[in-house]
Amino acid sequence: MKLSIENITYSINSKLIVDGIDLGVEEGAFVGLVGPNGCGKSTLLKNIYKVYTPDEGKVYIDGKDLSQLSSRDTALEMSVMQQENVVEFDMTVYDMVMLGRFAHQKMFGNDMSAERKIVADAIEEVGLTGYEQRSFLSLSGGEKQRTLVARALVQQAQLIILDEPTNHLDIGYQYQIMTILKNQGLTVFSSIHDLNIASCYCDKIVLMKAGRIVDIGTPWEVLTPQKVKDLFGVDCQITTNEATGRPNIVFAPADSVAWR
Amino acid sequence: MSDMRIPLFPLQKKSHFIVFCVATAVVLVFSCLLAVGIGAADVSIDEIWKVIVNNVVGSEVYQREWENSTESIIWTIRTPRVLTAFVVGAGLTLCGILMQVLTKNPLADPYVLGISQGASAGAVAVIVYGFLSFLGGYGTMAGAFLGALISIALSLRIATIRNKVTATQLVLAGIAVSALFGALTNLMIYHTAVGSDKVKTATYWMMGSLSGASWDRLLYASIAFVACFVLILFLSKKLDVLMLGDDVASTVGVDTGKLKIAIIIIATLLTGVIVSISGTIGFVGLTIPHITRSIVGTKHMRLVPASMLVGGTFLVIADILSRVLVAPEELPIGVVSAFFGAPFFLYLIRRSNAKLGR
Repeated sequence: MKLSIENITYSINSKLIVDGIDLGVEEGAFVGLVGPNGCGKSTLLKNIYKVYTPDEGKVYIDGKDLSQLSSRDTALEMSVMQQENVVEFDMTVYDMVMLGRFAHQKMFGNDMSAERKIVADAIEEVGLTGYEQRSFLSLSGGEKQRTLVARALVQQAQLIILDEPTNHLDIGYQYQIMTILKNQGLTVFSSIHDLNIASCYCDKIVLMKAGRIVDIGTPWEVLTPQKVKDLFGVDCQITTNEATGRPNIVFAPADSVAWR
Repeated sequence: MSDMRIPLFPLQKKSHFIVFCVATAVVLVFSCLLAVGIGAADVSIDEIWKVIVNNVVGSEVYQREWENSTESIIWTIRTPRVLTAFVVGAGLTLCGILMQVLTKNPLADPYVLGISQGASAGAVAVIVYGFLSFLGGYGTMAGAFLGALISIALSLRIATIRNKVTATQLVLAGIAVSALFGALTNLMIYHTAVGSDKVKTATYWMMGSLSGASWDRLLYASIAFVACFVLILFLSKKLDVLMLGDDVASTVGVDTGKLKIAIIIIATLLTGVIVSISGTIGFVGLTIPHITRSIVGTKHMRLVPASMLVGGTFLVIADILSRVLVAPEELPIGVVSAFFGAPFFLYLIRRSNAKLGR
């Protein structure tokens, strides 16, 4: 297992948000975390990427206990992409991506031409060549997010955690960003809102509700009308997406008669 | 869309950055010479040069053809004062930069957050009641440091909501903390000083002054300043990352907890030392980093040395103005810095409000 989560429990103001979760993510797998708002997805992920310290339980990467690793060593094992957060101080796209190299760089004596090449390659990978000297704050939402993908990529960790990576993005950018990530061949563990995106990209999908995992499986195994209804309270039909061969979720609200 | 093509800041090339620093240093040297030359007693540039060279070298390089009083005006009174102005300006600027990274908010500076006032109160408490007298000459600085530490804890506590420091919250916290410590300072002064001394001492601590500058105090302050400057340069890459927010910084590999404690200790130490030799001089830490950032960018490896030079030069010039504007009287230097800084503060508040409204 690339990433193993053992009995993670976390509460905020004595309210249990994550309730003893066990989970393993295999090397090279793209695993999606799906569940209704407030089910604890983000809290679980924050426990993994050490913004929160779990009340109980451990997280291991390649068998190494994350709580024993320094921030720098953790960053070498795992990169994280969060929703774009508001920064007050502007910087260029290039500088923003270069910050992702922090864990690899020493105080002095870095091979800067190699560093520059890594950054330039990542910027090209996300399709932002020519944007290097642009102000980060002047970018559109999708461009900002792709910059952050590049920053996560230059970290060169084998595991990448995505905390709602495509929120607030239009559909084109959502697919674009997921495709970029899928193409890296890394181990990915990502919370995902859109069930069709989860279906399209994930090898496995984890269904989460009220702080617990309710099911794990391939898209065909877990994206059934009954399970989607149990999770989100919405009726749906599952068809086959002709292009991907994966399940396609078509939502049909209970009183859909009214739309006829 | 066209405005996106404008570079984020003008001096992106390293060579341009170096030219900027050299140019600022030249302005600084000229301002210093001017500042030593200006005052009630006239001294010529020639005399200034000769006196300084003689004293620095420690022997009579130039034959002495000036009076003893000229020598003492130049070397004992004005030179330490001008150098103190530089150290105070540069130091306050560094404190401002640290506070801004710590809160991720460009409005933060030791004066706005009430830390300078806390340091003042600490220094006055030591002077008036003789606490920490076992530390001798360092007592005032230690008192100022403790005052700064208490006030920063208080003001960050008030300003932080759910791990975020909002502009509104920061300004409110600053008002409360500086009012509290300002009142404390005045209370202690009026409780013990007599007659016109009261007003004079109070003005010194509330508005700042460089009139008490001496080589001794300058030496202490310079040691602290240089140490902090070097430490900040060592931390510069981490400071760059911390600007992105605590969560992001930790996932990129920075131990944010340790870093923030280091920042708080360096910033309060420096604020304490500076306030103990100059009283509270406002807005330098706010104005200078902001202007310099718009010229050399946000990377601390460049921002820190450049804005240190700009800040030092600014205060040397402000000191000249404070002595010239109402000559032969002298304005408290805080008045001069506030005239530049306060409008700037208003502009930054407006800007942060405009952002909220988008």
